[in-house]
Amino acid sequence: MTSYRISGKGRIDRSKPVRFTFNGDSYNGYQGDTLASALLANGVHLVGRSFKYHRPRGILSAGSEEPNALVGTRRGPGRFEPNTRATVLEVYDGLATTSQNHWPSLKRDIGAINDALYMLFSAGFYYKTFMWPKSFWNKVYEPFIRGAAGLGKSPTEPDPDSYASRFAHCDVLVVGAGPTGLAAALEAGRSGARVMLVDEQAEPGGSLLSETDARIDGRSGWDWLKAATDELAALANVTVLPRTTAIGYYHQNFVGLCQRLTDHLPNPPQGAPRERMWKVRAEQVVLAQGAIEKPLVFDGNDRPGVMLAGAARSYLNRYGVKVGNRPVVVTSHDSAWLAAFDLTEAGAKVAAIVDIRPEVAGHLKQRAAALGIEVLTGWTVTGTSGRLRVASVRVNPISRGGVVGPARTIACDALLMSGGWTPSVHLFSHTKGKLDWHEDGQMFLPGEHAEASRCAGAGNGSFGLAAALAEGAEAGAAAAADAGFKAKAGSYAVEGEMALTGVSNRELPTDRNASKAKAFVDFQNDVTAKDIRLAVREGFKSIEHIKRYTTTGMATDQGKTSNINGLAIASDAVKRPAPAVGLTTFRPPYTPTTFGAFAGYNRGELFEVTRKTPIDGWAEENRAVFEPVSLWRRAWYFPKPGEDMHAAVARECKAVRESLGMFDASTLGKIEIVGPDAAEFLNRMYTNPWSKLAPGRCRYGLLLGEDGFIRDDGVIGRMTSDRFHVTTTTGGAARVLAMMEDYLQTEWPDLKVWLTSTTEQWAVIALQGPNARKLLEPLVESIDLSEEAFPHMSVAEGRICGVPTRLFRMSFTGERGYEVNVPARYGRAVWEKLHEAGQEYGIVPYGTETMHVLRAEKGYIIVGQDTDGTLTPDDAGLGWAIGKAKPDFVGKRSLTRPDMVKDARKQLVGLLTADPNTILEEGAQIVLDPNQNLPMKMVGHVTSSYWSAALGRSVALAVIEGGRAREGETVHIPMPGRTLEASVTGTVFYDPENKRLSA
Amino acid sequence: MLHEHHPLVGREIAVREAAPLSIRVAADCARFNLRLDPSHIEKASKAFGLRLPAKIGAVAVAGGRIAACLGPDEWYLTAPLAEQEAVEAAFADLYATAIHSLVDIGHREVGIEVEGRAALLALRSAIAFDIEAMPVGSGCRTIFDKAQIVLLREAEHRFRIEVWRTFADHVWGILQAASREVALDI
Repeated sequence: MTSYRISGKGRIDRSKPVRFTFNGDSYNGYQGDTLASALLANGVHLVGRSFKYHRPRGILSAGSEEPNALVGTRRGPGRFEPNTRATVLEVYDGLATTSQNHWPSLKRDIGAINDALYMLFSAGFYYKTFMWPKSFWNKVYEPFIRGAAGLGKSPTEPDPDSYASRFAHCDVLVVGAGPTGLAAALEAGRSGARVMLVDEQAEPGGSLLSETDARIDGRSGWDWLKAATDELAALANVTVLPRTTAIGYYHQNFVGLCQRLTDHLPNPPQGAPRERMWKVRAEQVVLAQGAIEKPLVFDGNDRPGVMLAGAARSYLNRYGVKVGNRPVVVTSHDSAWLAAFDLTEAGAKVAAIVDIRPEVAGHLKQRAAALGIEVLTGWTVTGTSGRLRVASVRVNPISRGGVVGPARTIACDALLMSGGWTPSVHLFSHTKGKLDWHEDGQMFLPGEHAEASRCAGAGNGSFGLAAALAEGAEAGAAAAADAGFKAKAGSYAVEGEMALTGVSNRELPTDRNASKAKAFVDFQNDVTAKDIRLAVREGFKSIEHIKRYTTTGMATDQGKTSNINGLAIASDAVKRPAPAVGLTTFRPPYTPTTFGAFAGYNRGELFEVTRKTPIDGWAEENRAVFEPVSLWRRAWYFPKPGEDMHAAVARECKAVRESLGMFDASTLGKIEIVGPDAAEFLNRMYTNPWSKLAPGRCRYGLLLGEDGFIRDDGVIGRMTSDRFHVTTTTGGAARVLAMMEDYLQTEWPDLKVWLTSTTEQWAVIALQGPNARKLLEPLVESIDLSEEAFPHMSVAEGRICGVPTRLFRMSFTGERGYEVNVPARYGRAVWEKLHEAGQEYGIVPYGTETMHVLRAEKGYIIVGQDTDGTLTPDDAGLGWAIGKAKPDFVGKRSLTRPDMVKDARKQLVGLLTADPNTILEEGAQIVLDPNQNLPMKMVGHVTSSYWSAALGRSVALAVIEGGRAREGETVHIPMPGRTLEASVTGTVFYDPENKRLSA
Repeated sequence: MLHEHHPLVGREIAVREAAPLSIRVAADCARFNLRLDPSHIEKASKAFGLRLPAKIGAVAVAGGRIAACLGPDEWYLTAPLAEQEAVEAAFADLYATAIHSLVDIGHREVGIEVEGRAALLALRSAIAFDIEAMPVGSGCRTIFDKAQIVLLREAEHRFRIEVWRTFADHVWGILQAASREVALDI
């Protein structure tokens, strides 16, 4: 295969050759190549098929704006990534890449039939073509479109890579390390400010890497670049991050940077993260993102071999690759002439420079003449030929009157185009900074800044090396000064730079039928000039509507090369000036970013905090099955070998009812409330009265919101007159504390009381069952457990197994119960001691499922399961928990609203199914008349439902409209295939006299 | 006395490459959350035997005891384990003349020491504020990834994290991931 590599040119490392594959074929490249430059060096231009029409596509650009050259990469098992831009993908030894969006092969693609059927795929074709018949949409059209469209294939395996993240703070963040950014970073760095300089490319330099003419302060561009990067490296206060894309600019100078750490390495170190997301808070930001070259819009402008002229110059000067032997240049901007000159000097035969402008600067023409290049000024391009690579270009003269003359065909193997340059204002736009339209240059430029930021260089509309350096230095010094450092911008002497000008165009004039031209505006989404004009004819006037109707600018490149061309055509079609048509909004990320980079460390084990109790390890060793409860994982049940959940839970329930069970209740929220006004504070927060609760006693507390609905509940113990031990639900702990702090700080700052979370200070072991006291008595010191001294709902401090304890006498099972609180680090040892000592009574550890069953048998509610934020205390049958004599408490006033006292409110009741073996489904809807027409009137739903081993049948709790008055009635629960029957009962199924609490 | 179970027992991270980093579990201590009207600082300082700092973020250290001011009326106190009861007794005596809330949180927290030239880098993986600008000898309550922590800067290159025990594993896991990056110098 012919090599297009030019000896002695470029910055690639010729001492480090690499081999890589593209579609299975092996190629040579060098370290420093991108996949695009290496393929071009091997004469490969055809790299993919287009999105909609499956047209053959080549490499358009040399940067991250690339719309065409998207490839799949595989870096080992599980490491497949689609849609990687070949123009930024660094090659390394062993890199494997594939082209996309074709079948059976890149060169012979069946989908290319779409290209011949282009009339079907015009703007808005989704909305038009597939409207009828309606039933075809789901089954035929949509699957067809989804299958046919789309670029690369999504990876199917889990991502085996790891990702990192890091916060950083700096005085000056400079985005873009071209001449502007380098000059800015140098000034800011010299001032002593903390500077970060980031660039998406593998090495700093930007346009300096591709342009070799001008000299800076007497040195070549590359020598100056070396000196600049050396100086920055030597400054301890400066951090330079290559391969780092500023993806988003957020409020208060918060900038997200995605750094590629290992993708370019053939053998990344074991355990090294693939990418790192930097979250930077900068005092000042300098945006030096440069400019993106605009394609020209003409029929056949997407053929492989048609490329941006600036890109061709980059491939030549930076990578030492000649993109063709016989290129034609077509342009409306001076900069493309330089590509023609450089290529000629590198040995290519430039067949012609075709310039749309009738007049071009004399010095360009003279140089072209000296190099023997034919020049056609005032000519247009009206077509190209070549199946998988451009073979010729069709050009026509334009008369002064605008008439397109007869065509001439020029043979070529590359067509280099330039429609001028678009300042890259993406990050500036993220900040909602105002963009001003500049009619002269036909471009939007940063106007008023919304953040502490500056734009400089080509990104600010100041083109050329001298302007870039001057404006960059100015911006860097000013940013440093605003950050509180002394800085004064230096100046640079630039020699040998040509002043470059150009004009902007819409689609180029043609002598052919413009409505048949495949003149692409958006290469990635296959949108042509005629699509945009059609959208306007069909009534779309705003650029936001045109964008969505035609999909121009909506691909992963966000229209980097297409937006301004699209706007120019739309503005011409609607006959309004460009700023009146407007620019679409740029949104982060600037370039496609992996989900892994966003997730950072938060995957696998570190996806979310998993809170484990001090006893969790024992439960794991004893084969507990766990369930998540808010952030916690809790032991759900403890199956013995061969037991299923049903059998395990039945056994656990039986043990508690007949002898003794132990349960890890450590997850319950706990709040220590201390101060002389503690009781008063509780009076105001909870519905119950607290003033008369004696130290050493506990009470069930019910917490409402201001709306009067149940928010939380728990047992509260009074340790001393000024100290309470409050418990909350597991999931409610944090929000109850926050709610209390809120009231305390904003409503009642006068109260002398303080709150401290003690959830994790205590491990809690519930001992429940008739033998609980017998187990505890010999292990507890200095607490009299007799019925008289320590009745149900008592609390005392003492010692157990030699360690301090707060011992509660309480029950969530209906059996005699105790809750042993010990300092957390002792939790497991105390649990083990109790388990060992409890063997005498056949003690059984039980999990949350058994806890749920036992409490349901007693009609004890679980907030959040039996309540849903719309239940009042009375709805839940907890009217008794309201301190009627209290002047106020949170939610009291709401409880007297007319709607809150209606008889037909949903009330908590018990349900017993007609068939005792049927266990209702939690959440199932309840109706009164199963024979009514659909949709039936639903009067409530099942909230809790279990098999009760103690009762030998199922039990359920439900909320039903006016439920308590329906006791004894039959209700119906329609389920798929059958309708179940149940009778309404009270909520207490087991031991309604509460005799067992003291049994 | 019964065996005490620590969430991070026996774990240690040591990086000895270019930027040394050592992450270890801190020895146990007594810890208290003190809430008190600032007008009683004098009396409380006497009870604790250490001048309580009045400025949020300030940390006082003396005789093995630490007092970090975390809020307008909130201090994080630590003392050697053996002095737990003495501290409790001293504050119990204080209550009559200066009402306050002293709550034992010794078992709620786990201490993690992060030391070495790469300590800052490791912490920056999950802490959003500018730790570099944090004065030596100061402390604050902050967020480490998804966990609330108290962060004390004990020396230029030594930090102490105090974190609730069920969040300790998560914090440790992220420190471990960050330390791999330090070891690889990546």
